[in-house]
Amino acid sequence: MQDQLSSTFAALADPTRRAILARLTLGETSVTELAKPFEMSMPAVSKHLKVLERAGLIARAREAQWRPSRLEAGPLEEAASWIEEYRRFWEESLDRLDEYLREMKAAGTKSKAKSSGKKRPGTKSPKTKSKE
Amino acid sequence: MAQSAYAATAATEFVFTRTFDASREDVWNAFTQPEHLKHWWGAPGTSVEIGRHELKPGGLFHYRMKFPDGRAMWARFVFREIAAPERLAWLNGFSDEHGGLTPNPWAPTLPPETLNTVILAEQDGKTLLTFTMVPFNASEEETRVFAGGIDRMKMGIGAAFEVLANYLAQRS
Repeated sequence: MQDQLSSTFAALADPTRRAILARLTLGETSVTELAKPFEMSMPAVSKHLKVLERAGLIARAREAQWRPSRLEAGPLEEAASWIEEYRRFWEESLDRLDEYLREMKAAGTKSKAKSSGKKRPGTKSPKTKSKE
Repeated sequence: MAQSAYAATAATEFVFTRTFDASREDVWNAFTQPEHLKHWWGAPGTSVEIGRHELKPGGLFHYRMKFPDGRAMWARFVFREIAAPERLAWLNGFSDEHGGLTPNPWAPTLPPETLNTVILAEQDGKTLLTFTMVPFNASEEETRVFAGGIDRMKMGIGAAFEVLANYLAQRS
């Protein structure tokens, strides 16, 4: 069983499907319309639409004869917010790294020097910093 | 709507860069040596205790984060690629005390590991760091390797943001 996020990324791994989604950001449309820019048979396009539908990235009308497809933004937003959470974590980590490198430089400590792992004089631990 | 706009911003910043006023060697060492890692690595507000640190492909960096309220949790790297001093790739995840992979405690339904890559480049005496992250699902690893694997995942993520950003722009 695949989680939603993996389905989203798997569905987006194909360039044709990405192009289809890009087209659908302009509004709902039919398989015939979607097939136009590609040298591809209608069944081949339908196959891609099925993958996108299963991944929840598009919805297709049941009632109309031409069954227009439209974009569903939910899974894309979920994917984006998942990334956002990690991005924030990383930005904060790199802030601390930046601070640590500055402290090392200020203390004239060469990181390549063999260190015993003990606290060196003049090297403040960022954990115990009291500024801000 | 505001939240969506926020998500769209995140989209473009998924792969991000940072310049450090330090030599590439110093940045590399800060990333790969336990005596440096313990000074800066870990979730905000935590202190880090290092269990294992084996800098080799397949090797484990296993560490414990202690929160100010006394709680603690283990996490790990599994190193994949080590090319000093310019390229480091590892799988990033949470773990139990023995180093076994555990679900993300804040998001148990999401893939438990991410493949993280750090690339360091020298730039006018400073160091440019490029960080890339993609979700990694070990159960699908074999199929991904055969299908062109990680690179396809990366494209998928970039595309997700592109499509989403387009969509939001059209809607507003």
